[in-house]
Amino acid sequence: MENLEHFLTQVWFVILALFLFLYVMLDGFDLGVGILSLTSSNEERRSILMTSLGNVWDANETWLVLMGGALFGAFPLAYGTILNALYIPIFGMIFGLIFRAVAFEFREHSSNKAFWNVAFGVGSFMAALFQGFALGSVLEGIVVDEAGHFAGSIWDWLDWRSLVVALTLIQGYVLIGSTYLILKTEGELQNTHYRTAKLAAITTLIGAVLITVLTPVVYENARAKLFHPPEIYIFALIPVLGVVLIGLLLRSLNQKAEASPLVWTILLFLLTFVGLGLVVFPYIIPPSITIYQAAAAPSALVFMIIFIGFLIPIMLFYNIYNYIVFRGKVVSESYGES
Amino acid sequence: MINEVTMNIWSDTVALSRMQFALTAIFHMLWPVLTTGMGIYLVVVEGLWLKTRNPDYYHHARFWAKLYVLNFGIGVASGLPMEFQFGTNWAPFSEAVGDFFGSILGFEGAMAFMLEAGFLGIMLFGWGRVHPVIHYLSTIMVAFGANLSTFWILVANSWLQAPAGGEMVNGKFIVNDYFQAILNPFMLISVSHMFFATLETSLFVIGGISAWYILNKRHTEFFARSLKIAIAVAIAVTPLQIYIGHLSAEQVAHYQPTKLAAMEAKWETSPAGQPADWSLVALPNNKLEQNVWEISIPNGLGYILEFKKNLSEPVLGLKEWQPNDRPKMVGLVYYSFRIMSGIGFFLAGLMGISVIQWLRGQLSPVAIANQTWLLRTWLLAAPLGYVAVESGWIVRCVGRQPWVVYGQIRTADGVSNLPAGEVLTSLLIFAGIYTTLFICAMFFGSRIIRQGPNLNLLVPGIENQPAVEIEPAEFIPDQRPVEAQQ
Repeated sequence: MENLEHFLTQVWFVILALFLFLYVMLDGFDLGVGILSLTSSNEERRSILMTSLGNVWDANETWLVLMGGALFGAFPLAYGTILNALYIPIFGMIFGLIFRAVAFEFREHSSNKAFWNVAFGVGSFMAALFQGFALGSVLEGIVVDEAGHFAGSIWDWLDWRSLVVALTLIQGYVLIGSTYLILKTEGELQNTHYRTAKLAAITTLIGAVLITVLTPVVYENARAKLFHPPEIYIFALIPVLGVVLIGLLLRSLNQKAEASPLVWTILLFLLTFVGLGLVVFPYIIPPSITIYQAAAAPSALVFMIIFIGFLIPIMLFYNIYNYIVFRGKVVSESYGES
Repeated sequence: MINEVTMNIWSDTVALSRMQFALTAIFHMLWPVLTTGMGIYLVVVEGLWLKTRNPDYYHHARFWAKLYVLNFGIGVASGLPMEFQFGTNWAPFSEAVGDFFGSILGFEGAMAFMLEAGFLGIMLFGWGRVHPVIHYLSTIMVAFGANLSTFWILVANSWLQAPAGGEMVNGKFIVNDYFQAILNPFMLISVSHMFFATLETSLFVIGGISAWYILNKRHTEFFARSLKIAIAVAIAVTPLQIYIGHLSAEQVAHYQPTKLAAMEAKWETSPAGQPADWSLVALPNNKLEQNVWEISIPNGLGYILEFKKNLSEPVLGLKEWQPNDRPKMVGLVYYSFRIMSGIGFFLAGLMGISVIQWLRGQLSPVAIANQTWLLRTWLLAAPLGYVAVESGWIVRCVGRQPWVVYGQIRTADGVSNLPAGEVLTSLLIFAGIYTTLFICAMFFGSRIIRQGPNLNLLVPGIENQPAVEIEPAEFIPDQRPVEAQQ
């Protein structure tokens, strides 16, 4: 019986990780494109950038909403404690996402586009920054009492380590945004993003190396967990694979490939995710509350698998269909009527 | 005294979190109300276009979709904080009820939001990229997703009103039967009431905007069509909504006596077997526990609750409970209830008059522009649905106080461990952002309306038809409205 409960809990941990990964990958390129739009030299380019996201940003953002709901249902304690602790970064992210979301429509109808350009770019940047802070401080650990309730200070999330994670995440978003634009645009605009992708690949690499080195140095828990066989071989493999993927990415950028840079970047994201997941598991509120302590009743987990779990393939199917319908280069500058 | 109370509110995490929830919920509600109801309208006009191939219906689908997507964007933006602030501001509540309440929010995301978002792109930008039937399926999926979201949200909220399917054990709600929790006593009627509320609001928005065009003699025939669709659907919706509202009040009387007492500003109990007055206007005072001033209809309460003079069950007054066990904002609940019901009857009356004028042939393309007062009333009625919806939610959720889960968890016990200063800051930022968004939405919305429909859009599929003869001559009389033939 306990085995079954543990198994159900682990299934939900994996489902949540999947939702978070899909969000970070998909809205990651939306936010990356948003941040890149701050450097666009003219309205036409910005229009193409926003049009490239017009049909997908909303569905991409919905993975975040889905993850929020699933976390609430499957790990109510973690939902309460983590969001309570991250009050400021969560609302910072939400305000950023609000500006990003309304900018699409408002810019289309506005005669003063400059304001909504800033809302789009800065909103995307804010969302990415605060997501990074949130991720960084969860990895660092949240101060809780014996019952698992948040017992720290409301500013605990802000320190230099979470800042490193935040800056790295922004670089990662810029990287995936650039490679997405390489796929979706052509000509001068595409060339620009070959350059930004190369730059972002290198800055992401620096951030990733910093985090990889810092994690075992700063955190005792991680050190205890990492430096034991057989784990040490797995954890040694991840940075090696990461370097290989960055190499393949840079090579494809140099060869001016159109689709493979995005593929390598996605694999790089996936690798990072697997790495972080292995470091965090079995904790959901590091460093003290495990997924088994925070999980909802087994009946709730089963109930949710029936209603959400079976929908995952269907959701993936129509999301992929959406990308297939709008495949190819962005042609229209207009986000609205075609 | 007043100063002291005011001071307390601004340094009280519970009061501030409640204000933030109220502000974000009230603002958020404005947008999905239209997108859920108008989604059904878009399904109807696109279906009519596919069936009749009359380009007017195609242009209707394209024109209203512009207002639709403006609403949709703000709805998505303002919906995000709703998903997360249960955790940020109400962590103990989230932990206590997550097994059921959180699962339901998860279902909403997976079944409703994703469906809506996944097909919205095709609905808006896919006209030239997919087969018309696929496009129509996408429009149906978007509307279906929005209405599924109404369903799950009302399931979750109904459960807060009438928790079922389990019990509180050590401060956590343990669910024994999930289906009983979903099928809680309030569920069916609450879902129906909200479904018809979104539809009714959207009908009067569509009708009101159409009336504005007709009044301004722009595209009279084009907009007479949408006005008539709105009237035709309202024939069923407006009376049904009043009836469901009545059923809803009966449920409140049965399951939530404190809320009913607040809705009626009723301080003293009325015993069974006797008539009781129904208060029409009053000035309730929570301190004195009475209405300082009141106009009431003699023997009215029995007729309103049971359609007969004498009450068959006693109606409890607020004084039956300790002040801490009943809602404090009696006046707000009392007037919100009257505003909501008043609007319900007003809209039904407007529908009635419009139908009479239609039957008299006064809504034909030639005559409709002369119906100045009727059209002006429709224009006036456009925002009323929103007011009714918001008032209804105020009755529902302020009237539920002091409970967050009725009879089980007090609102004050559900609040997160947060300094008041941070909550006040986020509340003020929300107030600022939402005011800006509201002004922008009104501004851009009226710009879209002033620009009017773009009748030059290429109708998909037209290139497959013979270029010379656009429409066979014998079809022209068929497309004339019925009144013109009389």
